[in-house]
Amino acid sequence: MSDTLMTPQDIDADLYRSVEQNGPGFYYVAAGFIAIIVFGLYRYYLQVKYGLGVTGMNQPVTWGFYIINFVFFIGISHAGTLISAILRLTQAEWRRPITRMAEVITAIVLVIGGLHPILDLGRPERMFNLLKWGRLQSPLLWDVVSITAYFAASTVYLYLPLIPDIARLRDRGTRPQWLYKLISWNYQGTPRQQEVLHKAMNVLMIVVIPVAVSVHTVISYIFAMTLEAGWHSTIFGPYFVAGAIFSGIAALMVVMIVFRRVYHLERYLKQIHFSNLSRLMLVMAIFWFYLTFSEYLTGFFGSEPAELDVMMFKLTGPYAVPFWLMIFFNFVLPVALLSRERTRTIPVILIVSIGICIGMWIERLIIVVPSLTIPYVDYPYHPYWPSLTEISLFAAALSAFCLGFMIFARFFPLISVWEIEEGRRNAVRETSERIASYLPDPPPSDDLSEFSSPGGV
Amino acid sequence: MPAGVIRVLQLITITLMWIFICGVLIFVPWLVYVAARWNDALNWSIVIAAVFLPVYIIVAATLTYVYFGLRRGLRK
Repeated sequence: MSDTLMTPQDIDADLYRSVEQNGPGFYYVAAGFIAIIVFGLYRYYLQVKYGLGVTGMNQPVTWGFYIINFVFFIGISHAGTLISAILRLTQAEWRRPITRMAEVITAIVLVIGGLHPILDLGRPERMFNLLKWGRLQSPLLWDVVSITAYFAASTVYLYLPLIPDIARLRDRGTRPQWLYKLISWNYQGTPRQQEVLHKAMNVLMIVVIPVAVSVHTVISYIFAMTLEAGWHSTIFGPYFVAGAIFSGIAALMVVMIVFRRVYHLERYLKQIHFSNLSRLMLVMAIFWFYLTFSEYLTGFFGSEPAELDVMMFKLTGPYAVPFWLMIFFNFVLPVALLSRERTRTIPVILIVSIGICIGMWIERLIIVVPSLTIPYVDYPYHPYWPSLTEISLFAAALSAFCLGFMIFARFFPLISVWEIEEGRRNAVRETSERIASYLPDPPPSDDLSEFSSPGGV
Repeated sequence: MPAGVIRVLQLITITLMWIFICGVLIFVPWLVYVAARWNDALNWSIVIAAVFLPVYIIVAATLTYVYFGLRRGLRK
């Protein structure tokens, strides 16, 4: 059937496939992830029962995998709402098939990342002391407040653009009908309703950007506000935000490539989308390297003994292998492979993106652990190695992310259907008008006579 | 599910969200009070509270505006 004979719903039928056609494969994969999560929960039960002794953390390294993963996951959350809001705000037309996936990543990862500091507590019930006697001047509490605010803003920012698609599912008779009727909020697509949604999305778009930036800045303050060597740095705020956006784009690319393949979304997620995002990723790789270089150069030039000890510990000491791997994955690999159009293919982008996710995780490790390993006080060297509990909880967190994404895809389209339809209807006209508005205005009619005169150009 | 039940459930959701927001509106000033009581960086506490409280209020107000806006925009 040619496109011209298709109704709009038929044209975009592929987008409903994840919701309406699920084979047994979905349940097998979900069962696998659930098994990993259950094992992780069992290990956590042991941790609560026997205490933090079951982890690899000890004096002086009292922050390990949990805090590394906390920073890593919250960083990835920047993939979504921030990138989506910036692309929407700048009216980047190629954003349309990307924004939904980006927003879902944020919502899921914020929950997973936000739980990690609780995992790090030997007595998790003491979290309630935060409600009673929290100290608002502590960066740890800023984290709680800012992450909760970001989560609230991000979930609403995910939900609002989802309403028209939920209404479509309701009208298609997709099950469970009660759910779609309940959360579609009686959306019928009337001009008044569209206006209300657009206004609300515009407000949230503007609110969410500073909140997103503040979240990762505040996370960096947990480290930067202490006087620990290797942490007490003025550029940690932008360094963390840049790293978060960088790892966020990489995670988004991995998710896009995997789900494109699984749900056959090749018609929507095209080479141009990956090419544009990988250019952005390349810019972020160079910016990240510049910040890393500045951070280490100023520390090195100052030659403050404690700072130098930590730095050498990373550059040539026990953490040299992860440090140089980080440089390889976060800078060498993206610059080598994404700079040239010829190598900017989807398989290569997938390899580079996975590499960046690994590299950025190592970066969090390089920030958290070495500074604690060499404290100011004279303490015997005690290397940190994660225990099975920490590794299994990390695996459970990754599985929870994958499972969360699969469950979302089971109930909602992963690509915004209404935005694609709107793009088909209006984007070409609107973009042409916008481009025309960028061009210089024609000269006034009086001046035209000069050009038409024999002496004119 | 009858339309009336759906409407009630939707209103309950909106109410629960506002209860949460009220919780935050009580929690954050409580922390400012704790800082004042312990003579512990009160100014900074007020600044931080003033930064984050509006975010919650804007988010909740936006969602409420959308809910009632969509109802008002229903086809006759």
